[in-house]
Amino acid sequence: MAEPIYLDHAATTPVRPEVLAAIEPFFGPRFGNPSSMHRWGREARAALDEARSRVAACLGAQPDELCFTSGGTEADNLAILGAWRAHRDAGRTALVTTPIEHKAVLAAVHQAAKEGGEERFTSMTRDGVVDVASFRAITNANVSVCSIMWVNNEIGTIQPIPELAQYAHEQGAFFHTDAVQAFGKVAIDARAVPFDALSISGHKIGAPKGCGAMFIRRGAVIEPLFHGGTQDRGRRPGTENVAYAVGLAVAAELAVKEREEHWRTLEAQRDRLEALILEKVPDAIIHGRGAPRAPHVSSISVPGTDSESLLMALDLRGIAASAGSACQSGSITPSHVLAAIGVSADVASAAIRMSLGSLTTDECIARVGEVFPALVQKARGMVAA
Amino acid sequence: MRERVLVAMSGGVDSSVAAALLVQQGYDVVGATMKLFCHDEKDIPDRPCCSLDSVNDARRVCETLGVPHYVLNLESAFSHDVVDDFVAEYAAGRTPIPCVRCNTFTKFRDLLRKAEGIDARWIATGHYARIENGVLHRGQDHAKDQSYFLWGIDRGVLSRMLLPVGDRTKAQTRDVARQLGLQVISEKAESQDICFVPDGDHTRIIRKRLGADAPALSQGPFVLVNTGEVIGMHAGFARFTIGQRRGLPGGFREPMFVVDIRPADRAVIIGPREALLGKGVVAREMNWLVAPLEPGAEVEVQVRHRAEPARGTLVRVDGEEIEVALEEPVSAITPGQSLVLYDGERVLGGGVIERGLGVRGLPVLAA
Repeated sequence: MAEPIYLDHAATTPVRPEVLAAIEPFFGPRFGNPSSMHRWGREARAALDEARSRVAACLGAQPDELCFTSGGTEADNLAILGAWRAHRDAGRTALVTTPIEHKAVLAAVHQAAKEGGEERFTSMTRDGVVDVASFRAITNANVSVCSIMWVNNEIGTIQPIPELAQYAHEQGAFFHTDAVQAFGKVAIDARAVPFDALSISGHKIGAPKGCGAMFIRRGAVIEPLFHGGTQDRGRRPGTENVAYAVGLAVAAELAVKEREEHWRTLEAQRDRLEALILEKVPDAIIHGRGAPRAPHVSSISVPGTDSESLLMALDLRGIAASAGSACQSGSITPSHVLAAIGVSADVASAAIRMSLGSLTTDECIARVGEVFPALVQKARGMVAA
Repeated sequence: MRERVLVAMSGGVDSSVAAALLVQQGYDVVGATMKLFCHDEKDIPDRPCCSLDSVNDARRVCETLGVPHYVLNLESAFSHDVVDDFVAEYAAGRTPIPCVRCNTFTKFRDLLRKAEGIDARWIATGHYARIENGVLHRGQDHAKDQSYFLWGIDRGVLSRMLLPVGDRTKAQTRDVARQLGLQVISEKAESQDICFVPDGDHTRIIRKRLGADAPALSQGPFVLVNTGEVIGMHAGFARFTIGQRRGLPGGFREPMFVVDIRPADRAVIIGPREALLGKGVVAREMNWLVAPLEPGAEVEVQVRHRAEPARGTLVRVDGEEIEVALEEPVSAITPGQSLVLYDGERVLGGGVIERGLGVRGLPVLAA
C-alpha cells in the first residue's frame, strides 16, 4: 500500500519536534514544583511564568489573564460554568449558545441549565453561520453567559465573533468563545475583540494532548471547577503541568508566526481537493461553502453514500478521515452540526470530514482527489464492483 | 491478492476465534462490531453480549490479531427490522425469535452491504453451522448447532459466507482462544439472553414501545381448554408462551401448561400435556436454502431450537406459506418460533410458525 495519508488534523496533530525538544528537560533535571521555594521550585516557576507570558502574548493578553488547563474541554467548562456560577445570584439566569458547538460547550451549558439556568440557542444559516439577528433577539438583560465557537470543528465555518462579542458586551453578558479550531488559523487579539474568555487546545497545534489554556479577561469573575491549592490564582488548583505549559507556549508561538503562510497553503490545498472531487462528482455537497471558512476543514457529502462505509473504505486504502462525532463505542452518530444547519438526515449521514494540516502535501491531495471519487462512484454502483 | 473477509465480531469467544482462524488461513481480515442499540448509563455491566465492554473486547481481539476493527452503527435498521417485529409478535400473542431476523436482515444483508463497500469477497460470523457445496449444514457439534437460527438468509448469500467455527466443538473453540492468547475472551460466559433484553425481562421493551396499558400487558383471563371456564386472571399474555408452566394457577390433579394465547380477548388458554400435541405445522415467510421442494416431499423438521428433529411430509406449498404433516405428534408448536426443514445435516429452509395443527388435522384449539 502507498504511504498512508492523514487527513484528520482537526481531531489531533502530531507533536512538533520543536515542542518535544522544549519540554524534554522538564521530564529530567528541571522537574521541580513551581510552588516550592527552593532552587528547583524557582526554576520551574520561571519556566511556567515565561510560558504563561508567551501564550498570553499570542492572544494579545496579559500573563495574569491566562490560565493553563488540561485542554479545550476543561477550558470550555471552566469558562462557562465558572462564569455562570459566579453570576447566578445577580439575577441573570440565561445562557446563549449555538446548536453547532462542540460537545464540551453544549454539555457545560446543559449542566448550567440543570443548575437552574435557561438554555437559549441561536438560529443558524444554512451555510453554518450564526444568524446575528437571532443572537441579538435572545441576548438581553437576562443573559448571564454567551458561548459561541470561533471556528466550527466539523465544517470549518468562521463565526462573526467580533460583532457578537461586542453586542454581548453591550448587553452586560459574559462572552466566551471556543477558539480550539480557530487558534493558528484566524487572527486572535484580546485587545481588539471584547470577549471575556476564550479556550484553546494544545494538541490541535502540535503540542501534546492534555494541555490547553483559557484566556480570562482581567476583572472577570469565575468560580473554579476544582478545589485545592492557590495555583493559578485559585482559578485552577493543582500542581501545574510545567512541561506541557512550555510545550503549549512553543506550539502557540509557532502557530501565530506561521499563521498567514499556513492559511495560504491550506486554502490552496483544500480548494484543490474540493475541485478535484467536484470535477468527478459534480453533485457532491460541500457544507458551509457559502460562508467564510477556516482553510483546514472540508466537509463533503455525496448523496447516495454513507459515511460509515466510506470511512472504512478510505481507511483500508490508507486514508484517514472522519465523520460527525464518534460515540463512546466508536460508532458514528449523526452530526448534530449538520442537523442544526438544516442538512437532511440522508445527506448528513453521508458526510466525510477531511481536515488538512502539517502532514498534508500536494501529493496527498492529488491521491485523495483520485481515490475519494473512485470509492464514491463504486459505492453508488456507478462502476461495476 | 489475499481475499478480504468482513467478520462480524461480538467480542465473544466464537466470533473472536472465527476471526483468528481466518487470519491463520491467510485471509485479509477486517473486524466489525455491530452497534444495534444505544448503550446508555443504564447499561448492565455483566451482560455477556452487545455491551460497550463487548465492543472493547472485540477491538482488543483485533489489536491482538493485528487487523483493523470498526464499529458499525446499525441501530436504526435493527430497531426497524428486529425490535419492531419482536414487539409486534408479542402483541399478537406469539413468541418471536429476534435472532432469526437479526441473522436474516442485520448480519447477512446489512453487513454484506458494508462488505461490498470495502471490496470484501466474504463475510464471516462465529455461528456453529457449516456451508458445504453451497448448502447450509448443521454445526459439527450438535449440542451447539445454530443452524436453526439461520434459515432466513438469502440463498445467494451462502456462497459468500464463511463459518470458521462450524466444524468445531465449543470446547475446541475455547482451546483455540486460549492457544491464541485470547485469555479473557476464552473464559467469557455464554450469552443466552436476547441482546436487547439483557435482564431477561422482555416486557420492558414492549412497555417502552407500546405503553404500559398495551393489551398484551393488561390483565386477562386464564381459560381452561376443555370447558372454557375462567379460572383466574393474569397480568398480560405477553408474559406467556406455549408450553409454559410458570405463573399458572395451581390446584389441578395433573400439570397444566399454556396451550394457546388468544389476543382477541387477552386469554391465556391452559390445559394438560396432551393438549399441547400437534400433528402438523403451518409456517409463513418460507425461505428455501435449496431448490424449493414440492408437496409430497419427506422432510425432517424442528419447531424449536435444540428439539429432536421430527419426521414429516410437506403437504402444501402456497407461495411463502407451507404446511407440514408430522408422522408423530410434536409438543408445544409455538406461533412465532421457527419451523426449520432438514435433510439430515442439510438445512433445506424454514419459516415462521403460523399455527400448529391438531391430531385430527384441525387447528389445535380452534377458537
